[in-house]
Amino acid sequence: MAFTTELERDSALNLSQAAVGCEFQIKQLDGPSCKQLREIGFCEEMRVRKVSNGRNLICAVCGTRLALSHKLAEQVFVTAV
Amino acid sequence: MSTGENNTLPKVALVGHPNVGKTTLFNQLTGERRKVGNYVGVTVEKVSATIFTPHGHQMELVDLPGCYSLTPESPDERVTRDVLLGDFAEESRPDLVINVVDAASLERHLPLTLQLIELGLPVLVALNQVDRAEAAGLRLNPQVLSDELGVPVVACQATSGKGVVQLKQALRFPLPPPAERRWKGSTALEHAVAELSKKLATLGMERPKVHALQLLGDTDYRVKVQPKLPREAQIAAREAAAACIKENLVPEDEIIKLRTQTIRRAITAATHTMRNEGETLSDKIDRVALHPIGGWFFFAAIIFAIFWSIFRFAEIPMHWVELGVGHTKDWVGGLLPDGDLNSLLTDGIIEGVGAVVIFLPQILLLFFLIGLLEGSGYMSRATFLMDKVMAQVGLSGKSFLPLLSGYACAIPGVMATRSINSNKQRLLTILVLPWQSCTARLPVYAILIPLLIPSVLGQTTMMFFIYFLGTGTALGVAWLLSKRIGVGEAAPHFLLELPPYRLPDFSYVFRHVLDRALAFLRKAGSLILGIVILLWALGTYPKAPSGEEQDQFNYSAMGRIGHFIEPVVKPLGWDARLGTATLASFAAREVFVSQVAVSFAVEENEDDDETFRAQIRTAMTDAKKSDGSPAYPPLTVLSVLIFYIYALQCLPTTAVVQRETKSWKWALAQLAGMSLFAYLAALIVYQGGSLLGF
Repeated sequence: MAFTTELERDSALNLSQAAVGCEFQIKQLDGPSCKQLREIGFCEEMRVRKVSNGRNLICAVCGTRLALSHKLAEQVFVTAV
Repeated sequence: MSTGENNTLPKVALVGHPNVGKTTLFNQLTGERRKVGNYVGVTVEKVSATIFTPHGHQMELVDLPGCYSLTPESPDERVTRDVLLGDFAEESRPDLVINVVDAASLERHLPLTLQLIELGLPVLVALNQVDRAEAAGLRLNPQVLSDELGVPVVACQATSGKGVVQLKQALRFPLPPPAERRWKGSTALEHAVAELSKKLATLGMERPKVHALQLLGDTDYRVKVQPKLPREAQIAAREAAAACIKENLVPEDEIIKLRTQTIRRAITAATHTMRNEGETLSDKIDRVALHPIGGWFFFAAIIFAIFWSIFRFAEIPMHWVELGVGHTKDWVGGLLPDGDLNSLLTDGIIEGVGAVVIFLPQILLLFFLIGLLEGSGYMSRATFLMDKVMAQVGLSGKSFLPLLSGYACAIPGVMATRSINSNKQRLLTILVLPWQSCTARLPVYAILIPLLIPSVLGQTTMMFFIYFLGTGTALGVAWLLSKRIGVGEAAPHFLLELPPYRLPDFSYVFRHVLDRALAFLRKAGSLILGIVILLWALGTYPKAPSGEEQDQFNYSAMGRIGHFIEPVVKPLGWDARLGTATLASFAAREVFVSQVAVSFAVEENEDDDETFRAQIRTAMTDAKKSDGSPAYPPLTVLSVLIFYIYALQCLPTTAVVQRETKSWKWALAQLAGMSLFAYLAALIVYQGGSLLGF
């Protein structure tokens, strides 16, 4: 389920870059911590709203607030809805 | 390991994510009767109870540690997986699993449900928090969800008891048949599962199909060392996975994809969302509690309130304990004739154990307040905020709760480190935690600080400085050690659920506090009892020929030890009395007070603790060296104070560190390292101060 080229990965929008207050759909998880992210609730096609930025950012998934580091957010690729 | 085989009660296990309301549901089902034990070989708590179904059948209900999936990260989660797979030799496999699921967050919870169904166990889904889901605009149809998942689904709200009767009724005999896997993989995947399960069967493994799927679905399970799994099974699984990858099939990826599709189908069929964009109460509170600046003020106010309450409210019950100890001592003393037995019971046991029990109110109050913070959902926010600070020194936000508990007592603090996922960060937290100024140090400070500063304001400032020094050193040393242990590269990234704010479950908080009280009395009490008897014997024998109390100290074994170690403590400005008091307090630092009192032959005043402390202080101030100069000038007192701020003088802590790190090496290194640090700090203060002419 990973990106096929580096260019494709670099040009995709990740949760770390996404704007606060907007709603997104998770397109893909790509990176070493996919398993950890999936377990806590970040899965493909799920809707996520970014609540705040900072060293660790907060987002809402399925009505639950989740806090995660920027390194992890960089592994969650999203598209705006 | 079914009921028939071991002839025990049918076993029902509660499984679900952390914070899903599993414990509340457990209490509702059991009426709060429970038994707490430990899983053999691991320090994971096992909570169980015997319940009756409405049809009169008896069952054992086990609350398994919370987990997000059956591909575990922490020791707690590993226990859940191994018990469910039936690989825990000392623990029978459950006959039924109640999977507690948050109705408002089905997409996040159903992956675990599917994994449970794949285990081939009968599964019953408890759809918890239905009220919250409805408030969020979600309409659920439990019957449709049940059809989609192929298992019974019962809607409930554990906090109000709604649906609990229906859940109990669903536990009827015969138990539901084992659930069946809800998805079918590609031909290649199904072939790989079938082939691997055949191999596992030839290896003599129980439930080969279940293990085959688990091994193909979890890379860590087949690659990392698993104490409960034969190596041959892992080798076979690695070969099977390699064969799949050759055919461009990553088994774990396909399994996840199939589960996701199944979940999406079930949710689409069983739920209907009415758009609800309104801000919840939690959102409103979080706007203040997690505000980049305001959040810190909120946090500081809460921490201040905790400490203020501890020092303000704990005084009252502490005074009761003090009176109780005094009266017991008088009563027992009056029953027996004067002599060694009377002295052992009153001066040794009652006084020694009483000196420890007196901290119980402070410890319990701190645990009660921490329980409220956890139960209300604020602790996760504090962890989130503190991660920024903790990360600077190599620790994680999850180190905050253990360090906070350390202000009460290091033992529960060390135990609370279990929630830290990184082993290295956990070890680092344990190593620096005893520098948090625990309540056992307070009586020592109460003797020493007034000797240095007479004004109350000065004393309060000094006390604040001591707390600051302890915590500052803990964080500074953590920063130094983190580089040495190599925490930076290995630290997992921060990921935390912030549960909605709610009213704490008071019965849970009270029971938690009661458990801590009993554990404290058992662990500290038993060891302290042994030590006080030993100290009493060392101070009492051999008896001084003159029979005078003043001569007794020098003549006793304790006094002789003191003179023996005097050369070691002399560079710190201490004499034999301080040396023995400090040596004795290596078992438990609060022993310092009674040991100093004994060495100066100060009688305990059962009605007023402050008078007793004042007498000790007067004795110390009046004490003179052979040349007539004061035996304890301010610099010596400061050197003792510095030593007590830094030294790890608590055997129960060392025992708990050994148990938690499973290593005597770390426990003893911590003891030696902190003692040496304390000695050097006291040496620098005394010698440096002397050179500067103080």
